[in-house]
Amino acid sequence: MTLLDPTISPVALLAADTSSRELLDEFSKREIRRAVLTAVAVPGYQVPFASREMPVARGWGSGGLQITLALVGPEDTVKVIDQGEDAGVNAANLRRLIADTTGVDTTTVAGEATIVQTRHRVPEDALGDDQILVLQVPVPEPLRGVERDMTELRRMHAEGDYARMWVSLYEDLVRNGVITQTTGYPCLVGGRYVMATTPIPRWDIPKLHRSAHLSLFGAGREKRIYAVPPHTDVEPLTFDDVPFEVERTEGASCHRCGAGSPDSGVESFLVELPGTEGGRWVCSDTDWCNRRLSSGMVAR
Amino acid sequence: MGYVAARGGTEAIAAAEELVRRSRLNADASWLELDQLTERLRYLNDRVMGEGGLWAPQLAARAIRQAEGDVIEAAHLLRAHRSTLPRLCELIPADADELRPLRRIVPAFREVPGPQLLGRTLDYTGRLLDLGDEDQARAAAAAATAAAARHPEDDPAENAGATEPPFPERLLDVLRRTDLAVDRRRDDDPEPTDISQVAVRPGIGRSAVLSVMARAETGALVNLWYRNILGPDNHLHEVTLGEVRHGELPIRVRHPRTGNPVLLGHLRATEVEAIEDLDGADEDRTRFDVGYGLVAGHNERKAIAMANLDIALHRDHSDSGLEQSVLMTTDGLDASGFLEHLKLPHYVTFRSMIERKQAMRTDRARNERKGRRHHPAPVVTPAAEQAAVPAGEVTP
Repeated sequence: MTLLDPTISPVALLAADTSSRELLDEFSKREIRRAVLTAVAVPGYQVPFASREMPVARGWGSGGLQITLALVGPEDTVKVIDQGEDAGVNAANLRRLIADTTGVDTTTVAGEATIVQTRHRVPEDALGDDQILVLQVPVPEPLRGVERDMTELRRMHAEGDYARMWVSLYEDLVRNGVITQTTGYPCLVGGRYVMATTPIPRWDIPKLHRSAHLSLFGAGREKRIYAVPPHTDVEPLTFDDVPFEVERTEGASCHRCGAGSPDSGVESFLVELPGTEGGRWVCSDTDWCNRRLSSGMVAR
Repeated sequence: MGYVAARGGTEAIAAAEELVRRSRLNADASWLELDQLTERLRYLNDRVMGEGGLWAPQLAARAIRQAEGDVIEAAHLLRAHRSTLPRLCELIPADADELRPLRRIVPAFREVPGPQLLGRTLDYTGRLLDLGDEDQARAAAAAATAAAARHPEDDPAENAGATEPPFPERLLDVLRRTDLAVDRRRDDDPEPTDISQVAVRPGIGRSAVLSVMARAETGALVNLWYRNILGPDNHLHEVTLGEVRHGELPIRVRHPRTGNPVLLGHLRATEVEAIEDLDGADEDRTRFDVGYGLVAGHNERKAIAMANLDIALHRDHSDSGLEQSVLMTTDGLDASGFLEHLKLPHYVTFRSMIERKQAMRTDRARNERKGRRHHPAPVVTPAAEQAAVPAGEVTP
């Protein structure tokens, strides 16, 4: 198309390619990429962005989806998981949207993906420096439990004033004997900003610490993007004499691949299959578990 | 085993969509035409356009039909559609003095400049369920439609009493002339903020706050108003309404070549001015103040709530959290999207929660063995004792 072509109306020119099925126009992608760059430059800082209306409900991955759509190119391969699972309905829905509107390839194998979009988990496989992890974030503000006023929250982050966060952890410990924070454990990023680790389990937090891959966090409803660049410290907030604890249940192992049993030699994040005569356990990262089974690593 | 067993999410989604599609097409009822919605369910259509932030009656009707009448879902369809469209130009700011009233009431005075014009309203119609005969109603509707087609100039539906220019002066103009109104017109927020292009947060300009309310979920604004009037929040006074208008607002754009204003069309809007008697220590008790509400379509309760909240926010100086409540909690898509995300699988988080419960018990048991108590002993009921199981085995 050229500006001089008389057969094309100015409106059509402005409207650009209306046959495109893409959900984000180039201006929106540019804005999101700029927010991502700012986030990478200031690890753990929540960068406001406009957040477009997506064809998925807010709170259902609209932030992660916008980051993925702004980053994805023809060479990319995308993996989408929810609770560690590729086949979950929400993961399937988002994968379908991404593939249908961008034409990008998809995979379930973490090692084959250039972008992994996830809700609530980090894959068990360590990601490399050519991979980006995109996390869907429902609540980006780690201090909301101790402060609601947004103006005060901005001051606290700006001044690195996390005293009330420490007090709340201390009170928790005194009252309950352990720190009861479950998922989304607050972490100090790069020694500067306290960050909400979405609701990923504590199990996954060491996988963000000084990792080779880039982690991007997208909160569509709350219009914030933040990042953990490669090789950045992600330190869970805890006291010198109170070790940070990840989820472990004594005696639990995956009933399919055996991960977690003493002779398997590996551990993974397990979820429970409750049953009437005691529960069974299974790996939450289904693809990792399947590959262990099919590669014959597991004596059945 | 719930979600874990639900393999093949794509197939499950496709099957659910097929169920929806089939019942939409084959509902044992005639096909729902768009004009049924735009002409006969006007309030519904207007509300979806207002909360969707897009004036497009036909598209709103499609959205309502597709969403099977779910207002927020329909507003979501409109907004998601709009966000894929290119922005071709900016409109010339519309002047609300050009709103051609189809309805206008001034509760503050009996006699006002210009008419008290009831127009098309259900306000004074007894709330008696019409149990009339369907066939007769159908025949009457057909006859009325035919009559209207013969004499379109007599159509009473839209134009009854509609005023022609010059439009009635506002009550606020009278108050200003008689020096009874605080003038808070200001010029420090000249470019209206486009809330679809920025992340609003407390401290943002009034144009953004007004835009947020104009696009807010109707019930959320009404509830915020009511809980302030009746509930514990108490940041609002009951106001006297100066103007309640519903009418047609001309929309113009500047011609890209000549630069002249060009009329694109009209949208209907509801406009409200709420007169407030401010009584704070630092407020001018000798004058009234005024809050402003303007929403797309015919939606008086939303416009009234908006006008009252506008003046409350002005006097609040961002002190009470009301501003944050308005900006961050009144959007229908945000609130319902987040609420409904609870339906998504949460078994990773729940497993982590159970693990902490067990960690607390383990810690407690260890301390009891050592005869120490670092923390208050829990109140253990017989039921809880029964539920106590060894670590690693949790009953569902």
